[in-house]
Amino acid sequence: MGFNVHFDWTGSIGEVILGATKSDGGSRRVSYRIGGGTTLPFLDKNPSSPAPLIAFEICDNPVFWSPIIRNYCGELVNNLQEWAKAGDATYGADMIRLYLTSTRQRNFSDFPAVGKAVETALSATSLPLIIEGSNDPKIDSDIFQKCGEVGQGERLLLGTAEASRYRSIAAAALAYNHALIAQSPIDVNLAKQLNILLREIGIQRDHVVIDPYTGTLGYGFEYSYSAMERIRFSALKGDTDLAMPMISSAPDTLTIKEVREADLDGQDDMAVKWEFYTSLAAAVAGAEIVCVRHPKTIGMLKLAFASLKTGTGSMEVT
Amino acid sequence: MALKALDIYKLLPKKNCKECGDPTCLTFAMKLAGGKADVDLCPYLDDTSKTVLGATTRPPIRLVRIGVGERSFAVGEEFVLYRHEKTFYHPPGILFKVSDAQIPDEIASVTKRVRDESFIRVGADLRFNGIAIENTSNSADTFAKSVETVEKMADLPLVLISSSADALTAALAHCGTYRPLIHAATNKNFKGMCAVAKQHGCPLVIKARHLDELGQLAKDCTAEGVQDLVMDLSPASLRDFISLSTEIRQLAITRTAPDLGYPVYFDATAGGMQDAGIVIGILKYASVIVTNPLLPSSAKAALTLRQNVYTDPQKPIQMNPGLYRVGTPGKDAPVLMTVNFSLTFFTLEGYLESTRIPCFMLIVDTEGLSVLTAVAAGKLNEILVRDSLIKFGVESEVSHRSLIIPGYAAPLSGRIEEATGWKVLVGPRDAAEIGEFLNEEWKK
Ligand code: B12
Ligand code: SF4
Repeated sequence: MGFNVHFDWTGSIGEVILGATKSDGGSRRVSYRIGGGTTLPFLDKNPSSPAPLIAFEICDNPVFWSPIIRNYCGELVNNLQEWAKAGDATYGADMIRLYLTSTRQRNFSDFPAVGKAVETALSATSLPLIIEGSNDPKIDSDIFQKCGEVGQGERLLLGTAEASRYRSIAAAALAYNHALIAQSPIDVNLAKQLNILLREIGIQRDHVVIDPYTGTLGYGFEYSYSAMERIRFSALKGDTDLAMPMISSAPDTLTIKEVREADLDGQDDMAVKWEFYTSLAAAVAGAEIVCVRHPKTIGMLKLAFASLKTGTGSMEVT
Repeated sequence: MALKALDIYKLLPKKNCKECGDPTCLTFAMKLAGGKADVDLCPYLDDTSKTVLGATTRPPIRLVRIGVGERSFAVGEEFVLYRHEKTFYHPPGILFKVSDAQIPDEIASVTKRVRDESFIRVGADLRFNGIAIENTSNSADTFAKSVETVEKMADLPLVLISSSADALTAALAHCGTYRPLIHAATNKNFKGMCAVAKQHGCPLVIKARHLDELGQLAKDCTAEGVQDLVMDLSPASLRDFISLSTEIRQLAITRTAPDLGYPVYFDATAGGMQDAGIVIGILKYASVIVTNPLLPSSAKAALTLRQNVYTDPQKPIQMNPGLYRVGTPGKDAPVLMTVNFSLTFFTLEGYLESTRIPCFMLIVDTEGLSVLTAVAAGKLNEILVRDSLIKFGVESEVSHRSLIIPGYAAPLSGRIEEATGWKVLVGPRDAAEIGEFLNEEWKK
């Protein structure tokens, strides 16, 4: 007989470059070119994109971090330099995502400290970085300006633009040539609208990574899964306003009941499995970057992604 | 290619005898055309018409039931490639694997676990589905004994894994009438396997490496009289499984290759990455998934993922709106308002039960949206709360006029007070803190 699945797709996912090596004017040891897919994840005969990237999430004020991770990582969480280094050298992540949680205080204004934190992360690891700004629109402008400036030349991925607040981050991305994350709550049309807004103020398509918002397993994941599939289809069908790679991070994973109430000696394992199941499923739906907080999830995901990947891969842009 | 109802009608006996369960041959023809009935229901159909009709009118993926009784499960009858196109209907059965080389105690404890263990999420009782017994001992006798061990403990659906027709025959002496799934017929042994399956009326797994071989094998087995088939694609890797399984689903639902219109079997242990295998199996169209017994963490994650993916995307799992009781609340008991999204209801109810404070839960109709989502969408508002208080007769149930609302609904508190005349207490955002809140705010 001889069959072949035929989807009649004409579009492809746009490519975004993250991280800049010396030859591109940065100091990263690798730079990733993500996107480029022409079909569903893991169906490409010759994938142009690397296996999904695993970003390890850390922060500059661990008070806001899950006790599970604080227990597991111990003293590390109080030392940004060492924590970032461990994410790279010990745990084996592909990227480090730094949340500037120190900014989550009333009337925060210590912007130099924010620059310092970004510098520390840049010096601790030579992996490409994702930098998450503040939670407060009032200080967005100063925060993103600082992050953009400190990371100049490094092709950071800056987070997170939303429909109600995207100007400051867009300005920083434009001024210093960084990529940015565009987040909308689990809806194809909202994702598209935001991308249009960004395009209209001058952000190039190859500088945007879509975050369709990931509800964790059991708490909205079914919606996120379908939203990601739909975004991917729209892109493959030729909608260029949705043809960007996606990032998935399920921030609620470590606080849901199943993880929070797990037996103490099984809690790490529960957290890891919940992150693993959510992340792998998101990758199957189309996420090119998955973010986790538990170090042990990284190894598990790496193994799984390795077996899902074919070809020797143009993993690194040289 | 699908036939029209009228073309189908022409092939029917036109007796209007009602034996198919339909009032007339024409209504039966209409059902067939919609893929909602099976040609076998008409006893008077001649073989030629049956073959013609069979291929075009049955659902694109055959419904196959495994096991009998309460714990039996049916798979197949799927119509779409992506859940958002409609929904996925029949969640995959996940079965724990044991080997007949294991000691009976071990086999018994796995069986007991599958029989008894259940994980309740949003009001649904999530369970693993059965036991797969592998004949690694190569002895028919040992195999049969292991099957007997399982059978003695539980009425669970089984997969019998053996390449020996003798071993299967010995095992089927213990479970032959309970529709175990037999694994597997290949193009070398299918005659013997079909004979065994047919004798006991069991569903049969067919196994081949290439899709055209699988299609041929399906034809051969149906010709031998076994209709309930399940396909093992023997994938070389997880990636290989994704592409084969996607291809098969695509070919089957478009009826491009009717011979591939059967549910898919997947052994998640192959390749040594079981958790990854389970995720991929659930997402990418496996209908029978075999795995080693899972740790509690993987077990919960796997059952939750399956529940998520097989939830109808058009309607969130919902509760009927109304006034619910926790314990036996008196006239002075607190009334807590929340939405009718099942996940919200059961989460809140769980915490309320553990406070041991009897109370009322007023469930308002937000069409299954969670608190924050309903607030954002404007579905949760003061008019709805007012009407619900009246509709469910809350005034006559309690002597006070205080309503506790979710922390996330705080922006509505003033408007609710105005519209209802009730005093509004804004509760915590996280239901986990409800005990503390009631003890501090309500008791005083
Ligand atoms: C899944 C989801 C959806 C699903 C719907 C799921 C559903 N059935 O409701 C979909 C994709 C359809 C959806 C749609 C929308 N969503 Co939505 N969604 C979510 C998500 C990821 C999870 C919601 C959830 O299931 N929570 C779990 C349940 C159990 O939580 P809960 O009901 O709040 O209950 C808890 C508490 O409230 C408390 N509680 C409950 N009842 C009571 C009662 C009392 C008395 C007390 C004390 C406590 C209490 O206990 C529970 C456990 O702690 C959230 C993000 C998040 N992390 O919350 C966004 C989120 C709620 N959505 C959001 C938005 C904006 C929307 C949309 C308006 C946007 C859109 N896509 O068009 C639409 C609106 C819906 C519509 N028009 O149809 C925003 C809301 C922003 C805001 N702060 O107002 C959120 C926060 C995402 C975000 N960060 O932007 N969403
Ligand atoms: S059983 Fe057959 S002959 Fe009788 S009504 Fe149904 S379709 Fe017609």
